[in-house]
Amino acid sequence: MTAMTHRKQTLLDVVTICLLTVVISALLILACGASPVEAASLFVKGIFGTKASFAEIFVKACPLILTGLGCAVAFRTGFFNIGAEGQFYVGSIAAAMVALGLPQVPGVVRIILCFVAAFVCGGIWALIAAVFKTRFNISEIIVTIMLNYIVINFLGYAVRSFLMDPAGNVPQSAKIDTAAQLPNLITSTRFHAGIVLAFVLAAAVWFLMEKTTVGYELKAVGLNQRAAACNGVPVVRSIISSAFLSGGLAAIAGGIEVLAIQKKLMEGISGDCGYTAVLIALVAFNRPLGVVLVAILYAAMEVGASSMQRQLGVPSAIVSIIIGVVVVLILGKELLRWYGKKNGKEGA
Amino acid sequence: MVQEILTVGFLTAFLSAAVRLAMPLMYGGLGEMIAERAGILNIGMEGVMLSGAFFSFAGAWYFHSIPMGLLCGILGGMVVSLLHGLLSIRLAKDQSVSGLALNMLMLGVTSFLYKLMSAGQSYQQVETLPSLAIPGLSAIPVIGEAFFNRDILTYLLYVLIIAAFFFYRSTNWGLNFIAVGEHPRAAESAGIPVNRYRWIAMVLNGALGGIGGAYLVLVQLGVFTENMISGRGYIALAAVILGRYTSFGVFGAALLFGAANALQIRLQTIGVEISPYLLAMLPYVITLAAMLGAIGKNSQPEGLSKPYIKGMR
Repeated sequence: MTAMTHRKQTLLDVVTICLLTVVISALLILACGASPVEAASLFVKGIFGTKASFAEIFVKACPLILTGLGCAVAFRTGFFNIGAEGQFYVGSIAAAMVALGLPQVPGVVRIILCFVAAFVCGGIWALIAAVFKTRFNISEIIVTIMLNYIVINFLGYAVRSFLMDPAGNVPQSAKIDTAAQLPNLITSTRFHAGIVLAFVLAAAVWFLMEKTTVGYELKAVGLNQRAAACNGVPVVRSIISSAFLSGGLAAIAGGIEVLAIQKKLMEGISGDCGYTAVLIALVAFNRPLGVVLVAILYAAMEVGASSMQRQLGVPSAIVSIIIGVVVVLILGKELLRWYGKKNGKEGA
Repeated sequence: MVQEILTVGFLTAFLSAAVRLAMPLMYGGLGEMIAERAGILNIGMEGVMLSGAFFSFAGAWYFHSIPMGLLCGILGGMVVSLLHGLLSIRLAKDQSVSGLALNMLMLGVTSFLYKLMSAGQSYQQVETLPSLAIPGLSAIPVIGEAFFNRDILTYLLYVLIIAAFFFYRSTNWGLNFIAVGEHPRAAESAGIPVNRYRWIAMVLNGALGGIGGAYLVLVQLGVFTENMISGRGYIALAAVILGRYTSFGVFGAALLFGAANALQIRLQTIGVEISPYLLAMLPYVITLAAMLGAIGKNSQPEGLSKPYIKGMR
């Protein structure tokens, strides 16, 4: 196939997938006995209706951007990190411990320390799986899933013991004092400083992956480990550093959630965003800027869908269905091309 | 504390709870083992079980019949596994990606359908399967109550575990299934239709995973709740590794996970001061340790999660 028809084919795939997604959403809304047109208008109103609702998109996108970036970096190095969920938890625990444990340290310094602690701890958590993979050749998929459950239970233990709010009897930590909270940037919304941090980190990851030798090496390892090794790329070191960076990014998301949104540590703090992140990275083809875009789109869908749920009773689970369908369609795009095969033009 | 634990009453209740909690993991684990031995990693087991749970509830609700519920659960699980087969066998795509996408999809689909079905009101329970004591065996102290005073699905699992053991050990078909997972190219040159075997494995994977999910609804709870599998599918994956890809191993590993779960509940009731959350971490730590221990005598099928394309080198 020539380059031109290949590009045309990709474009055609994208258009087909978008159309199918819209059709499926409309059918799902019809199935609830609601009118798709009304739903769509509520969806749009839910997003652009007020300043607060529009800002909410970025609030929801923030953890997805960071965890998604983490997944994307790891995936491009061929390290299938499903552990963003657990690394997010590690980051939130580390940030909460520093924020609550060093009350005498002034605010800004403490916030920086929180993020350093979160990044390092999350990185080390992911590193365990990288060591298992590089040294013992054990699948990182299973290891990261196990690590997720270990830290989720550890958080359950932490908020009932050494991190439990001494003043209450609810399983959550004490409230983090305002000095160490991430400030709100726009009044009457939840737009916080962590969102800016997420965008800065996204730009940094883009620069690292696209413009530096290290990024080039990471990608080379992901494309073909043997070829990379033969050309003198340090394969083990690349996987290790990619895993560390990946875990660190997801952990920063956890830190932001603690310091900006919840202002305390509690169970279920991630909202399963670590698993969503995997799919977001995949839909974005592991490109850093793509992750930002897809995360914002996904967050917009969530915000819009929750307004649809409130007004029309259309379950917001529709968003999970849509992202699932999109990934399945991307994987199965050849199925959409059966017509092409009949003409005998299909390559592989 | 030790005296309190070593009473017959405590042990009976503990073991009984362990078996009950382990049962969905055993079904899911057995289904996953069959798929993985044929070379297909199904991370989507969570979605398979969730689908099984939802459709068994819907089936039992609409048809007012437990067998119909079970049938719907099996079919619901199969559909997800076959979708995984379509992506990973027919289209030779990345199996981890496909599995994760299916988990997310099924979480959405089951929550969506349940909301549609219930339209806001909460459902009453559906009828659950009764226990049938096996005469004689169920009278054995401690073990009898736990293993032989159970529902019919538990007994079916015992049969399946034993059957799977002999199937892989001493039948030609069983060997073919292993060959397909270990070295698909060699299997194909020996005249074994690799992908047909893998499709069969996916059907069994879906059916067993479906029963695993249905077990929660039809035996344990009688209701469906959103995301009710809550990680059991992933634990089933761990049970397969911990059980070294053998049916008795999966049985033992799932029982261990169930026991860790049961122990935290039982210890709380007698007021022992140890955090249930620390106990709940144990099975995962053990699994990681077991994976490290398995180094050298690698029990993982050689061709696991590698797509097989006929005629490709």
